[in-house]
Amino acid sequence: MKEINKLQLSTLIPSQLIGYSISLIIGIFIILTTFQVYKDVSPLLSGEEKLFSKDIAVVSKHITIFKTLDKSKAYFKQKEINNIEKQPFIKDIATFTPATYKINAYTNSSGNIPPFYTDLFFESIPDSYIDISPEQWKWNNNNKFIPIIIPKDYLNLYNFGFAESQGLPLLSENTISEIEFNIRLSGNGTKGEFKSRIVGFSSKINTILVPLNFMKWANNKYGKRNKKMNISRVLVEFSNPSDDRMTPFFEDNSYNINNDKLEYNKIIFLFKSAIYFFTGLAILIIMLSVSAIVLGLFLILQRNQEMIKNLYNIGYHYKQIARLYQIVLSVITLIVTTVAIVTSTIVRNTYSNRLEYLITNAKQTNTIIVFGIIITLILIVVYNILIVKRIKKIATQ
Amino acid sequence: MNIELNNIKPNYMSEAEISASDIYLQKSILFEKEKLYLIKAGSGRGKTSLLNFIYGMNLNYSGTIRYPMHSSFMSFFDLRKDKLSYMFQDFKLFQNLTTFENIKIKNSITNHKTDREIIELITKVGLKDKINTEITKLSLGQRQRIALIRAVCQPFDFILMDEPFSHLDNENIKIATEIINTELNKNRAGLILCTLENEYYFNYHKKYKL
Repeated sequence: MKEINKLQLSTLIPSQLIGYSISLIIGIFIILTTFQVYKDVSPLLSGEEKLFSKDIAVVSKHITIFKTLDKSKAYFKQKEINNIEKQPFIKDIATFTPATYKINAYTNSSGNIPPFYTDLFFESIPDSYIDISPEQWKWNNNNKFIPIIIPKDYLNLYNFGFAESQGLPLLSENTISEIEFNIRLSGNGTKGEFKSRIVGFSSKINTILVPLNFMKWANNKYGKRNKKMNISRVLVEFSNPSDDRMTPFFEDNSYNINNDKLEYNKIIFLFKSAIYFFTGLAILIIMLSVSAIVLGLFLILQRNQEMIKNLYNIGYHYKQIARLYQIVLSVITLIVTTVAIVTSTIVRNTYSNRLEYLITNAKQTNTIIVFGIIITLILIVVYNILIVKRIKKIATQ
Repeated sequence: MNIELNNIKPNYMSEAEISASDIYLQKSILFEKEKLYLIKAGSGRGKTSLLNFIYGMNLNYSGTIRYPMHSSFMSFFDLRKDKLSYMFQDFKLFQNLTTFENIKIKNSITNHKTDREIIELITKVGLKDKINTEITKLSLGQRQRIALIRAVCQPFDFILMDEPFSHLDNENIKIATEIINTELNKNRAGLILCTLENEYYFNYHKKYKL
């Protein structure tokens, strides 16, 4: 071993380096895992939000025994709609446009899905509420393709109920989105054939949605003319979904509101709080361990300032004097972060096996390695700069 | 490489203190390569200071020191590496290294001497049996000899020596003088030696009183 290395290694305090390593492993492991969990779980939390551009909910009236007798009481009057719209927490209100013609969906008996033939119904809401790329959510007059959004419940019903009992294959959102099927519209003595594909799944709106301009066109061509449109539910957009006045208003008017969103916000809030907590904790641990090792090392350098000055005075460059400390700290940091990265990855593999049942989206990218490397680089660069500066200061003072 | 001092004055000494000096506050003092200079002064006259100024260890002075042969900017690191060697009064040896390691740590900067040459020098000053002894177990005189060997383990144009033989008997001074003369010839280098009283056995080109 070179003499300078022997000389400088003897100044290091092993317990200090071990303490640093352990705390840094914990800190980096927590931060890497937290970020990855956040990334992996966020599709679960925000999957729905991707479909609709706004904070929306469906409002309908309570169906009571009396209303089943007199259907008209289940419909919204224009006055009631205006009243809802006036509420401070409501930003906008939209109605559903139903199809007034007969709709059949069927497959040609080919491919790997079972042939089916079924009656359907369509409804539409304004396109501005739907946040699917315009390429997918469009229709024009000479286009024989209709994009549709179906309730997620339909898929669940099929997967967990129907397919299970009938011995049919389970379908994920991705596979079912690949399937093209036929739509036949009929009414007014004419028929029309269209192709269709499911472009989105909604758990908020329990209906089958098609683009509004298609609906208008089709109602005009196949629909029953002059049919009075009854409004049984409306779509509201909130300006502030956590407004306190909201619940009393809907209860007083005996409106049903699909308030999954509110529950959902609570879960997201809790989840995000946990993420913030762990991120904060990890940053704290990392900062403590980094400052402990930097201060500890500075103390070592201070205590050995005579050695550093002597080395400088007999002809060593301060960069040469700094080198061993740089290497030791860089290598330890590298080992530590590698261990943290490997541990995080193992943990991720363990939990993602379970998550696969819940997440139908493609697997999220692995942020552990990239993020871990970034942290490692930052730490190593910072250490190297600090050490060289410090040793230069001590040597030349 | 020559070294030229112009109007040098330590900031911490008054003009009265240095008024009799041959060097301080003199317009131009030139130290030429391959020549030997003696600087003699009583204690507290700033001998060590002067050498530290030249070596760049202490910059608390007014005036200029020039190393004119090397006009392009050189850091003191470059200068110390293979132009200037310095045998410190307080040796500046490393306490937890052995005799041999203390010399090697210097020699490994330039690999100026082979291990064999180093061992030969240690043998010459009579410390062969102390080669793997920790420096703390050596007497002052023994340490001084090690510091001397270390100082010549680099190429140099000038060697600065501060009271180099203060702990040596005549026998050892002769050996040390011989070693230094050999190295001066090999390097075609100059010597600046500061001392209190004893002038030792060099053929000085010039003697200054500080």
